Amino acid sequence: MRAKALAAAVLVALALPTSALAHAVLLQWVPAYGARLATAPREVSLQFDQTVDAFPNAIVVRSSSGKLVTAGPSRTADSGRRVIVPLQRLPKGAYTVRWQVTSNEGHVVSGVYTFGVRVKPPPPTEAYGAGGPTKFEYVARWGYFVGLALLVGGLAFRLLVLRGRPVTPALERRFYWVVGVGVVGSIELGILGFILRAADAFQLPIGQLIYGDLSPLARGTRFGTAFITMTLGFALVAAFLFLAWLLERTILLWPAFILGLVLCSGLSLSGHSAVDVGSTWKSELADYVHLVAACFWVGGLVMLAFVVWPTAPGLRRDAFHRFSQLAAVLVGAMVLAGAYLAYERLPAVSDLWRDRYGQVLLIKGSLVVLALSWGALHHFVVAPALERGRGVGSRAVARSLRGESAVAIAILLVVAVLVDANPPTPRSVKQPTQALVAHK
Amino acid sequence: MEPPAEVVHWMFGVGLLFLSLCLLAEAIVGPVVWRHRLWRAYLWPSLAFLLGVLMWPVMVFYTSSAIHMLAHSAWAQALMLVGAAQLGLVRGKLHSQLWELTLPVALVVSGLAFLLHEQNPWFFSRSAFLHHALGWTLVAGAVVALGRAVNPRSPAFNAGFAVMVVTVAALLFCDRNVAPIFGHLSPLAGAR
Repeated sequence: MRAKALAAAVLVALALPTSALAHAVLLQWVPAYGARLATAPREVSLQFDQTVDAFPNAIVVRSSSGKLVTAGPSRTADSGRRVIVPLQRLPKGAYTVRWQVTSNEGHVVSGVYTFGVRVKPPPPTEAYGAGGPTKFEYVARWGYFVGLALLVGGLAFRLLVLRGRPVTPALERRFYWVVGVGVVGSIELGILGFILRAADAFQLPIGQLIYGDLSPLARGTRFGTAFITMTLGFALVAAFLFLAWLLERTILLWPAFILGLVLCSGLSLSGHSAVDVGSTWKSELADYVHLVAACFWVGGLVMLAFVVWPTAPGLRRDAFHRFSQLAAVLVGAMVLAGAYLAYERLPAVSDLWRDRYGQVLLIKGSLVVLALSWGALHHFVVAPALERGRGVGSRAVARSLRGESAVAIAILLVVAVLVDANPPTPRSVKQPTQALVAHK
Repeated sequence: MEPPAEVVHWMFGVGLLFLSLCLLAEAIVGPVVWRHRLWRAYLWPSLAFLLGVLMWPVMVFYTSSAIHMLAHSAWAQALMLVGAAQLGLVRGKLHSQLWELTLPVALVVSGLAFLLHEQNPWFFSRSAFLHHALGWTLVAGAVVALGRAVNPRSPAFNAGFAVMVVTVAALLFCDRNVAPIFGHLSPLAGAR
């Protein structure tokens, strides 16, 4: 009897409609997002896949200075599937469209996109009213950089520093844990970063953002292109890593490593060095070299301190010596590329203490000096001592390595803040487009 | 540029159907006969892993809502996790039988992703109905998978699990972007 009652309850639960509500999907934008129009449009029209309710302010269109340019309230057409708002006569410039409609069953669906009249519109992330990054975004980005460093640096260490060396099963196991955490972190935090960036652009609470249309962000921006490419790439990297572990074929780590190196360029090609005013291929290249060298250095340090030292005493001296040599090259490349980027982005030395970007850069520089001094101590004092057979079993060396790793990871936190800060505009460069002015 | 969503569902339906037929064959002939050829043991876990990798393009190219994106990401990771854990067990790289629990966990996560990302009621349209049906099938399948993890030699659990995957594949094949369910289609979903 009880079983029958339970079965009936389950059947009723399955048969009843859920309390979840319908939500509309936007099928067509007119003007299209990212469009550069030769003539000013008379209206903005959004076509949905189902009936929606629209309040008079369902579609709000603003110029790059924030001026409202709609000529009347929003109204529905096509049996409630289309929402239209008339526009004033639009002069040349970039425009931001923010829309929000209610599906007939109560769900609020929203989005943002941009178009331009005789100018190239800004990406949705720089639409009028888009917010800046939050502290949570800094933490997420920091985690992303750490993941990238563990992945790329860990693979570089395994393939270059430990090349031809007998690797113990314990070391191998821990190595796969470290790079596994790196690749999973890169994927997960990449997705989180994308959602957070969308939240900045949409300026919506997360409850409404989950029904937000992210297509303009994914398709219409360099950031979106980088997100698509890097997510797909890291999924492949994860597959290669898994196969290398499963089949015990170190050679499969090479495609994972090369792919990881290529994917690092996604950050350089979608960040300040690529999109800011005055960016050139040289700034993109310098940013890429800076990033890759930092990943090798941080990931290598973590590998040495947390993988080699505890699991393979026989490899300590050799690995330390080889990484010390590699680190000298990496640090050189990192400092040169970083100095070039600082020179490009800061028009005057005084920007270092006057501008927020410069101030963050100054903090980063101080931490780098600390880390380099620590590295120099390792390179010039510890490495020769280890060569002479002293200190291989020393706990002080292990602690020192962990300390340098911690400083290196702390630098990545400052980098996460720096990436989202706007560098000052070089004086030699003309004022940016109207769209960028709107963002500022 | 992307194919219609229903076509993508059918493609994954093909993959899952093949996977389920492997499971069904193993349930019918028994693990001993099935694993007489060693490569057969790798068959369905490899396919699950591959389907997980192939789910990522779906995740990044279908961004009409954040929740759809997250749901596809959940399925991609669940498939990869299940495939990887099973391959690790078959290969002898993983030894703890606790790894078998990844299967029910992944099924629960996948089922909840279906149920949470579908915001329309059961009879809104065929795709809504199928999403609900898929979600509950996967949640129920997790119970079978749990039994299979506890008693891997049980023909009932093995057959039940295979039938569950066949059902999921069949439900995916039934999907249409806009189509009635049992003759009913909500006017909001496109009925005129």
